[in-house]
Amino acid sequence: MPFDRPSHRAQLAASRRHEDAGRPAVQECLDQLGIRRAIVLNHSGQQSAAAELSPDREERTGGAGGPKRRHLLTPNGMRVGTSVLRHDCSSEGVSDRLRSPSGLQAKRRQQVTDDPVSRPERGAPSSDEMLRLLVESATDFAIMALDRQGVVTSWNVGAERLLGYAADEIVGRDGDIVFTPEDRAAMAPQKEREEGRARGRAEDERWHVRKDSSRFWGSGSIMPLADGSGFVKILRDLTKRRNAEEQLRKSEELFRLLATNIPQLVFRTRGTGERNWGSPQWIVFTGVTFEQSLGFGWLDAVHPDDRNVTVAGWTQARTTGEYYIEHRIRQAKDGEYRWHQTRAKPLGLAQDMDSDWVGTSTDVHDMRGLQERQKVLLAELQHRTRNLLAVVQSIARQTIRTSGSTDQLATEFEGRLRALSRVQGLLARVDHGAIDLRELIELELTAHGDGGVEPGKVTIDGPPAMLPPSSAQTFALAIHELATNALKYGALRQPAGRLDILWGLEGANGSKRRAVLDWRESGVQMPDGSGRPARKGYGSELIERALPYQLNAKTCLEFGPDGVRCRIATEIESHGAVDG
Amino acid sequence: MGLWMADAARRVLEGRHVLVVEDEYMIAVDLARALADLGATVIGPAASVADALALVAGESALDLAILDVNLGVEKVFPVAHDLRARGVPFIFATGYDQWLVPSAYADAPRFDKPVDTRALARALSTSE
Repeated sequence: MPFDRPSHRAQLAASRRHEDAGRPAVQECLDQLGIRRAIVLNHSGQQSAAAELSPDREERTGGAGGPKRRHLLTPNGMRVGTSVLRHDCSSEGVSDRLRSPSGLQAKRRQQVTDDPVSRPERGAPSSDEMLRLLVESATDFAIMALDRQGVVTSWNVGAERLLGYAADEIVGRDGDIVFTPEDRAAMAPQKEREEGRARGRAEDERWHVRKDSSRFWGSGSIMPLADGSGFVKILRDLTKRRNAEEQLRKSEELFRLLATNIPQLVFRTRGTGERNWGSPQWIVFTGVTFEQSLGFGWLDAVHPDDRNVTVAGWTQARTTGEYYIEHRIRQAKDGEYRWHQTRAKPLGLAQDMDSDWVGTSTDVHDMRGLQERQKVLLAELQHRTRNLLAVVQSIARQTIRTSGSTDQLATEFEGRLRALSRVQGLLARVDHGAIDLRELIELELTAHGDGGVEPGKVTIDGPPAMLPPSSAQTFALAIHELATNALKYGALRQPAGRLDILWGLEGANGSKRRAVLDWRESGVQMPDGSGRPARKGYGSELIERALPYQLNAKTCLEFGPDGVRCRIATEIESHGAVDG
Repeated sequence: MGLWMADAARRVLEGRHVLVVEDEYMIAVDLARALADLGATVIGPAASVADALALVAGESALDLAILDVNLGVEKVFPVAHDLRARGVPFIFATGYDQWLVPSAYADAPRFDKPVDTRALARALSTSE
């Protein structure tokens, strides 16, 4: 065995350190190992010395040019080791010991067992001894010496643990077997040694192969020995770190992929709302560049009226642990402010308010529009329903007032409700849009035609005209009254009677276009000379009063000698006329 | 007298001038008749904002107004504005929900359509 277990053990606490050229061998070696602090324990495991191993803790004595004495100092300034340096910063000491395990053993026998702290000057471990202890005990590091061709000349416990080869089975063999076959084929070991020789040191991270063929990610460093007889190589297993880094990289890649591909605008921010990252979607949507949007620059894309609540939301978020706001964000392509729902949460499981927050802004503009529209539609529906009930109520009252008997009341009321129902059906079919005048008239006449109207008795003719939906109901009720009267007493009842419903249009193609409709009955024998009913009925009031009041229509109702004549001039839609 | 007529015996609006704004003729006539039965002198009815504003401007004596919110394509609120400026109290008669009434007039009494004239009469008599 190249290294025997020492009677003193050293424990190492390691952390990375910066390089410092020209430091003595021990220091450099420790630095290679990433060791900052060494503790020496005695037999019983008690700490007997601790050294803060840094250059500024070194004390050098001796005149210039002559041999220098160097002490390793404990944190409190106590000397724990003394060595005489024959050359400056030579690593010869290292190579001596690594190459001569027997010499090491011999030296070990001389090792003092006294407490080095209580007697620091006498019997404290020398710097070289310290190094030997460190090398032997550095079980987390594989430390090996190689000759010029890469043949292993020494092998520490750490190397055995990491690579699986015991020292006696690897010493004397080609050290390149710890490289992967691919790297060996690519001459990586040779290149590494050449670089080490040329630069005094070579470092690299690569996959290595253990005795059992398993692989690990090793971070290695190789340094040439000063006498040119070979190299010292130190190797650490960084597989876990590499895996963790890989995991982190994958997770960051996943976040990036997600954050840059979802339709939402993603951002990363301080808990104050100061942004430090915005996704590409944000930049494209708002036109505010990445740099401009940093800090509170992103507020520029928020509607001026919404900025106060947007910023205030961050104060609230720090108490609730969640940012939530609806605000308008300007769309670069057309300058439109679109409603967005913006949410953010602090990163990490601890929900630390002072950590970074990640948030998204989702475009809810169309949804909000639909909700508004739904609200309006519901109100409109309510309005229509209640209005219709009010109309039914008023029809009932008028019918009661003008009917002579209960039978008449029932018939007339039912007839009027049916007419109301028909026009409602018509309105529903066109979604309460404009109604075709001809369709409305034909519908009313057909409904009354069940009584057996002979063909040719009725003529309906006129150019296309569209009634506004607000007029349709009252207009339909008026036609219903005329038709009912004609069927009961007039042209539709009497064999010689004729009914012509003709209309024309007046007014320019623009505002205030009117349809002038003539309801002309002929060949009717009127009950008395004047033809005028004794009592003014519901129909008369509807035509003579309601149409002018409600539709701003001009009407004229006459009971001529051979039948009823009625003229209604009512406003129509200035556009949207249909064929027919 | 009609089936749903208000209690005519209680002429709570005797001598009062009441403006009616309602675009549906039959409803307007009904309402006017009911108000007359309560003893009111009916101003109008008016079917449009313009007609109603003209009546408000032209009538020196106005004690109360009953306003339909939705007048075809327009809303009655300009009339409410003028009435408030004159200090004339008004009542909304509407099929609309309360939220559509601007907050400035949210305190005005509201009657759902169809208006129950007896309930209206009761409300008016208690407010007298």
